[in-house]
Amino acid sequence: MLTFVGLGLYDERSITLAGRDAIASADRVFAEFYTSRLVGATVTDIEAFHDVDIEVRDRAGVEQTPDPVLDAAATGDAVFLTAGDTMISTTHVDLRLRAEARGIETRVIHGTSAQAAASSLTGLQNYRFGKATTLPFERSHGGDGVPASVVETIEDNAERDLHTLVFLDIDVDDDGEAYMAGDTAAELLADHWRPDALGVVVARAGSPDPVIRADTLDTLATMDFGDPLHLLLLPSSLHYIERDALATIADAPESLLEEYLAE
Amino acid sequence: MGRRKKIVQECETLMDKPENIRNIAIAAHVDHGKTTLTDNLLAGAGMISDETAGEQLAMDTEEDEQERGITIDAANVSMTHEYEDTNHLINLIDTPGHVDFGGDVTRAMRAVDGALVVVDAVEGAMPQTETVLRQALREGVKPTLFINKVDRLISELQEGPEEMQERLVAVIRDVNELIRGMTEEMDDIEDDWTVSVEEGTVGFGSALYKWGVSMPSMQRTGMDFGEIMELERADKRQELHERTPLADVVLDMVCEHFPNPIDAQPRRVPRIWRGDADSEVAEQMQLVDEDGDVVLMVTDIGVDPHAGEVAAGRVFSGTIEEGQELYVSGTAGKNRVQSVGVYMGGEREEVEEVPAGNIAAVTGLKDAIAGSTVSSVEMTPFESIEHISEPVITKSVEAQRMDDLPKLIETLQQVSKEDPTIEIEINEDTGEHLISGQGELHLEVVTQRIERNQGIPITTGEPIVVFREAPQEQSREVEGISPNRHNRFYITVHPLDNDIVETIQHGEASMDMPELERREALQEAGMDKDTSQNVEHIHGTNVIIDDTKGIQHLNETMELVLEGMEDALNDGPLAAEPVQGSLIRLHDARLHEDAIHRGPAQVIPAVRQAIHNSLIDAEIRLLEPIQDVRIDVPNEHMGAASGEVQGRRGRVDDMYQEGDLMVVEGIAPVEEMIGFSSDIRSATEGRASWNTENAGFRVMADNLQPETIKQIRERKGMKTELPEAINYF
Repeated sequence: MLTFVGLGLYDERSITLAGRDAIASADRVFAEFYTSRLVGATVTDIEAFHDVDIEVRDRAGVEQTPDPVLDAAATGDAVFLTAGDTMISTTHVDLRLRAEARGIETRVIHGTSAQAAASSLTGLQNYRFGKATTLPFERSHGGDGVPASVVETIEDNAERDLHTLVFLDIDVDDDGEAYMAGDTAAELLADHWRPDALGVVVARAGSPDPVIRADTLDTLATMDFGDPLHLLLLPSSLHYIERDALATIADAPESLLEEYLAE
Repeated sequence: MGRRKKIVQECETLMDKPENIRNIAIAAHVDHGKTTLTDNLLAGAGMISDETAGEQLAMDTEEDEQERGITIDAANVSMTHEYEDTNHLINLIDTPGHVDFGGDVTRAMRAVDGALVVVDAVEGAMPQTETVLRQALREGVKPTLFINKVDRLISELQEGPEEMQERLVAVIRDVNELIRGMTEEMDDIEDDWTVSVEEGTVGFGSALYKWGVSMPSMQRTGMDFGEIMELERADKRQELHERTPLADVVLDMVCEHFPNPIDAQPRRVPRIWRGDADSEVAEQMQLVDEDGDVVLMVTDIGVDPHAGEVAAGRVFSGTIEEGQELYVSGTAGKNRVQSVGVYMGGEREEVEEVPAGNIAAVTGLKDAIAGSTVSSVEMTPFESIEHISEPVITKSVEAQRMDDLPKLIETLQQVSKEDPTIEIEINEDTGEHLISGQGELHLEVVTQRIERNQGIPITTGEPIVVFREAPQEQSREVEGISPNRHNRFYITVHPLDNDIVETIQHGEASMDMPELERREALQEAGMDKDTSQNVEHIHGTNVIIDDTKGIQHLNETMELVLEGMEDALNDGPLAAEPVQGSLIRLHDARLHEDAIHRGPAQVIPAVRQAIHNSLIDAEIRLLEPIQDVRIDVPNEHMGAASGEVQGRRGRVDDMYQEGDLMVVEGIAPVEEMIGFSSDIRSATEGRASWNTENAGFRVMADNLQPETIKQIRERKGMKTELPEAINYF
């Protein structure tokens, strides 16, 4: 049995009870932290909390040589941990399919994902979101500025009057980790899309002290949102409840919100 | 005023009169007397004293050149000469004759309009005579002929007038045959470029004894050949020199028969520059417009102990002067001109400005390398210097003292800037850098210079031959999957037709030129229309075709796809040697819509793997460099000489008598030719003279492939087992 468990958003306590039980009864516990990680907890914290050893796999160890994970799942109960929910904004369905192909039973235990938090923390309504996109560092997409496909996604959504959730790049390499900050993302899009557009930065969703700020992209670009992880939302026209939420929760300038209010 | 200063002043006044300028090169087979001839010209122009001409070798400025008695780098010099009451400015570029330094010759030819081809009267036209002629004509440079060492025919071989005439006529006939063959298909040359005594495009004489004659000179001095033979036989060579000095004969020929820039540039610019023919800069270059945009084609980078790097080259348009901010092809940003000058012997003289049509020496162009185009407007560069001089041999270079490491790296980079036929691979981790070049001698000279000029004690490894890998058949379609399995690429490989490979090697089709011209050049070489329209990239002699249609996001992923392809082609699947001559088709691709899931970590390995697998399916083989070998040897040593070729996995193609010597011609792998010089010397008691010339790469015999591949892999620290799919040896 291979159980995919989402660790939730922030620290070792963000997991669900069902997830905790799955870890407790597992023979082997694997994890990957290259797609995202818990900012409020180290691997050691998680190990201590559950009183287990966690085998952390790097990208190659999941994508290219997943056999140790699959072997463990074929002969016993294996758990595969990821930050957030296990299948959102990650690509682990591939691992699940490989397991199924080998006749290994699989199941998913959810954690809260950034996608859910984005709606919950801002008051932007879930059913009004279009396609999500990821804004990569220049080095991650091998080009300059912002990939055309990112702008296309935002524009397509705007045309259909839908909000866009922009995930921000996490770059893990030999030199350590780099998280794209909300101000960096706002600056990139201000330079390569529209500086006067309304944006909402969500910082440290799931932590005790999340920060939510709405303003024009060029203003957001000048702010400091503190520790990672950050998200950027680009609203289309606003329902009046959404407008009130951004004004109250996200300190948005009134005049800007009026521009975005749906007729 | 010193004589030298006066010449500089004369040069400066003449620089503005393009109709009185001649830009020329002297080109010849090694040892046919080119440098000695150059000294004659310098002495004639008053640049060095008359007595030392022939001994001074003014252009062999590097210590090792004077020691070895051969010229290695092309050097430049300007001089003045009065012809038919008009003063002329002659800018001369000396070129090396040794084949290891062929890259310099091509580059020098691009900067000149006329080439004086020097041939030894005794030896006649040699393989390199053909090579340099070809290099000149390909650049649209007009040839004339000087037959040197005629004194030896008279005094040493004691030939009579008839014998001698026969021999000289034969030399002229051979040279003309070469010229005719090479110019036949050149539409831009309307005149007959063959040389003839009657027209005055052939001169004879002795650079050593400083006398020369031509048909016009005989008419002028009233001396006939009989009189000349008499004086030479009677050892009255000084009188001969005074009555008919070589410099006058040759420089008159240069002024009369070589085109000036105004005549040459309209014809030559379309041949050597592939940019838009209707553009403003094209017109300015054709008109030698000194008020136009500045265009300088750099032929050579030298180092001046005081001024640092000096870029020398031909000014095709505009006027170059201090303070200008100029673009350097292939680099971002601009360089500022610090000073401009002209060459006098080995020295540079600063001048105010150098207008179009001249050879200039420029400092401050820190990004320029030999071959760069430097200009005041952004423009298509002169076609990239051709890849015909691919390096075939590699040596490792290590600093003996750790402290010298940074200085060594800097020097190596400098070396590759000065001589683009040198390739450098810096390895900062091991400190063992690799330097690749045209032959054993080439590398030996370069490494000695590092030690001597920079005072860096180095350890060099044994020379290693550079190999290539090339597909032999058409592959099936191969799928490359990214590590996250969300991206897929479908690729095939075919061997590229030889004609197309040659077209690319000659720089006639490159990514630097406008798309339409590239397409036409490739079609002319035999590529079908559809394929030529889809050319996405050319890497070495590999062509990458994008046959996909309308795949979303492929545009913004293409850079990464090409990076993966280049990666795969630089390190072939057999032994991580460069791949050549492959036609790669991208048929289809599936891409994840989010950019983050199709980044470098996903796309590059997927493409790399697909290329390697398709190359293996196309039965890729290892290729080794080969050389044409020619040995001139007395009859009794002929067996030993041909044995030396055959014993080196070589093949003797021809043996024939020429004069009193036997000539052995054949080919042999470069790897086996390492150490040839000492072996052939001992095998023939030092009686053989020989010449080798790189002749490209050849597929190794199948029975040698596995072992050679294994050796290379071991040397590179790769695992020695080959992928299972390689089972066809």
